[in-house]
Amino acid sequence: MLRETGARQPHLNCYMVNPDLLREYPSIPSVWDEMYDQQAVRKHYQDVHRFLSHIAPEELGKKEELAKRLFMSQGVTFTVYSSGEGIEKIFPFDIIPRIITGHEWDFIDRGIKQRLKALNLFLKDVYSEQFILKDGVVPVGLIYTCPHYLREMQGLKVPHDIYVHIAGIDLIRDHDGTFYVLEDNLRTPSGVSYMIENREITKRLFPDLIPKNFVKPVTQYPNILHRNLMSLSPRQVSNPNVVLLTPGIYNSAYFEHATLARLMGVELVEGRDLVVDNHKVYMKTTDGLQQVDVIYRRVDDDFLDPLVFNPESTLGVSGILSAYRKGTVAIVNALGNGVADDKAIYAYVPEMIRYYLNEEPLLKNVPTHRLENQDELMHVLANIRKMVVKKTNESGGYGMLMGHTASEEEIEAYKKEIVKAPRQFIAQPIISLSTAPCYINGKLQPRRLDLRPFALCGPGGIEIVPGGLTRVALKEGSLVVNSSQGGGSKDTWVLAI
Amino acid sequence: MLSRVADSLYWMSRYMERTDSIMRMLKTNYASSQDNIQEFTWRPVLKIFTYLDDDGIGRMQDDTRVVLQYMVADKENPNSVYNMVVRSRENARSVQDHITKELWQCLNEFYHLIKEDKLSIMLQYDDPVTTLDILIRQSMLYYGTSESTMFRGDGFSFMNLGRYLERAIQAVDILDVRFSDLSYDMEKTADVMYWKHLLLSVSGYALYLKTYRSAFEARNIVNQIIFNTHFPRSVLYSLNALQRYFDRLQNDLNTEGYRAINFRIGKLRSKIQYSNLQHVSEVGLHNFLSSLNHDLQDIGNALNQYYFAYS
Repeated sequence: MLRETGARQPHLNCYMVNPDLLREYPSIPSVWDEMYDQQAVRKHYQDVHRFLSHIAPEELGKKEELAKRLFMSQGVTFTVYSSGEGIEKIFPFDIIPRIITGHEWDFIDRGIKQRLKALNLFLKDVYSEQFILKDGVVPVGLIYTCPHYLREMQGLKVPHDIYVHIAGIDLIRDHDGTFYVLEDNLRTPSGVSYMIENREITKRLFPDLIPKNFVKPVTQYPNILHRNLMSLSPRQVSNPNVVLLTPGIYNSAYFEHATLARLMGVELVEGRDLVVDNHKVYMKTTDGLQQVDVIYRRVDDDFLDPLVFNPESTLGVSGILSAYRKGTVAIVNALGNGVADDKAIYAYVPEMIRYYLNEEPLLKNVPTHRLENQDELMHVLANIRKMVVKKTNESGGYGMLMGHTASEEEIEAYKKEIVKAPRQFIAQPIISLSTAPCYINGKLQPRRLDLRPFALCGPGGIEIVPGGLTRVALKEGSLVVNSSQGGGSKDTWVLAI
Repeated sequence: MLSRVADSLYWMSRYMERTDSIMRMLKTNYASSQDNIQEFTWRPVLKIFTYLDDDGIGRMQDDTRVVLQYMVADKENPNSVYNMVVRSRENARSVQDHITKELWQCLNEFYHLIKEDKLSIMLQYDDPVTTLDILIRQSMLYYGTSESTMFRGDGFSFMNLGRYLERAIQAVDILDVRFSDLSYDMEKTADVMYWKHLLLSVSGYALYLKTYRSAFEARNIVNQIIFNTHFPRSVLYSLNALQRYFDRLQNDLNTEGYRAINFRIGKLRSKIQYSNLQHVSEVGLHNFLSSLNHDLQDIGNALNQYYFAYS
């Protein structure tokens, strides 16, 4: 009679593939999975897959705990204030990295550079000669009805003709793996600190895995940004004063502002630290007033100058726009960029690329119905179940209608709103976002994701740090990755080979 | 340096100094509450470190656990360790780019520690010294980390101004309250335990023994806590440090502010340096301490006016 002579210890047995963790991965049919191609593991995931097959599921649980503890103790958190007391929250983090091949990255890199180049030219054009409107490529009405178009910017020359210094262009992948641009964030895109911090955490969680996979580093981001900011100084001084303007500690992205300021070695200022005198911006220091040359602002246009925009706002600085118009201070990103990342104008970006660059767009747009066009409006209303309808002036996943899951009442209410003001909506077919394995409840499960690489545009050209923020919809079945809708993030690896 | 940043660094460090002071005080007073040789009351501690009125103090003063709970964990008590740490860390959070990552992490961890519910349960039902020791260790970590990692710039100077001004004020307050029990009579003798615990709570017991050997005399205690320049918690030591760190802020830009505050610090230092116990007896201990307190507050106000005004 054969008898077991002792308990087997699976975590010591390096040759056994871990059955719980990997064998039951419930791939979703006709969805692109970043790790699996049918049942086979994609080549660039093989090393991580091998690692995961040899690790006990409870070890991953411990790593998840460690990640949470590190985020907490390092203060990579945002504060939610309720009844006068602050509660620290972590932006959910999934420990399994998302991997992009060098080949895929090359394509993304070229595609984003092309797009950003055209968008910068578009902004320059819209705020000066307006050739693209006169040639009828983009409808004039669309520009002047855009709430983010700023008359104050008209005819203003900005340093090096750069409007978008920092862009966070969101990419998604369809069922066949094709990349699409979901939206262009050209105002104050956030999330780059998670690109940097997620990598730092992954180094702690999975020792040696990063160098073994030849993952390209992301740490140079603050240095490139700082170099670009310095180059914008209107004063010809050897050490211009660069500051990062934050709305303050109550802002949910405050951690990011503090991190970037620390990594660049620049002053982190709030509106109340600045004052404008004789069209120059100064900061109030212990040694009196000091002139400020470059402001990387993380405050939206509407709150930047109470004299021009929202008079109630205390986040900005009175008179800052007059200084900007005089050219005594550079502001990053430029004001009025919202006219280029408006969801309705998004539909025209491929035409912009053809118009300004005489090139075919590399990265595809998600087909977008322009609802001011009567035929398209009728088509959308008839096929609303197959559509995502978004409000053009909202972001963060708010005000969105997912046709396939919405109730009858929601759809009817939404239809009424659309007919009332078609300019304020766009409709897109539902794209089946790609999935990647996430460690959830002790198992690997597929969840939908997107990718936000951060592009930096300076006088020397556009640079994109190889990596970005991968946002993942942690709720089962969800297609919305926004953090306000239950999204989390992953470390994003771009492989060198 | 931004005025707002200087202000935050200064308060971050003042709150930490006060926290440290409160915790040491609680620890030694808890120890003396376990000695049944004497009549023990929490009254002086509550008088120095809380805003309670006489009735409030009266209700609490004989219940050790209630006092500990109130002083450490009570969110309604503006001077509780809990609130100090929260405020210190909020200040640190807004100046993360001016302190080292190590120091930020240290304060942030202190914050998460103090927010744990189990702390207040331990304080209620377990040995309070263990709990206080955990907290005190965290505070010592703060001192060590700031000392060994902070760059010696203006920020570090402002932190130290906060630290030593707070420390000098604490020393004056402690003497004032303790001697009020003896109607400020330095010739009066008190129980040995009374002095021993006072010295222990300001970490001055060992130095006292080395300087004066055995006899506990009120005048020696006043001497050590006000005049001794080798005792890191004495008023004069703190003022010397204050002067040292303030001198580093001297430059050609804010000469008006520098002069105004340098004058105040210098004057107060001289007042103490060129004074002695005999003089203190003549003007009366309470009067002397009150005038020190007034001058110290005045330095704080001048710093606000000349260096921190930003809104």
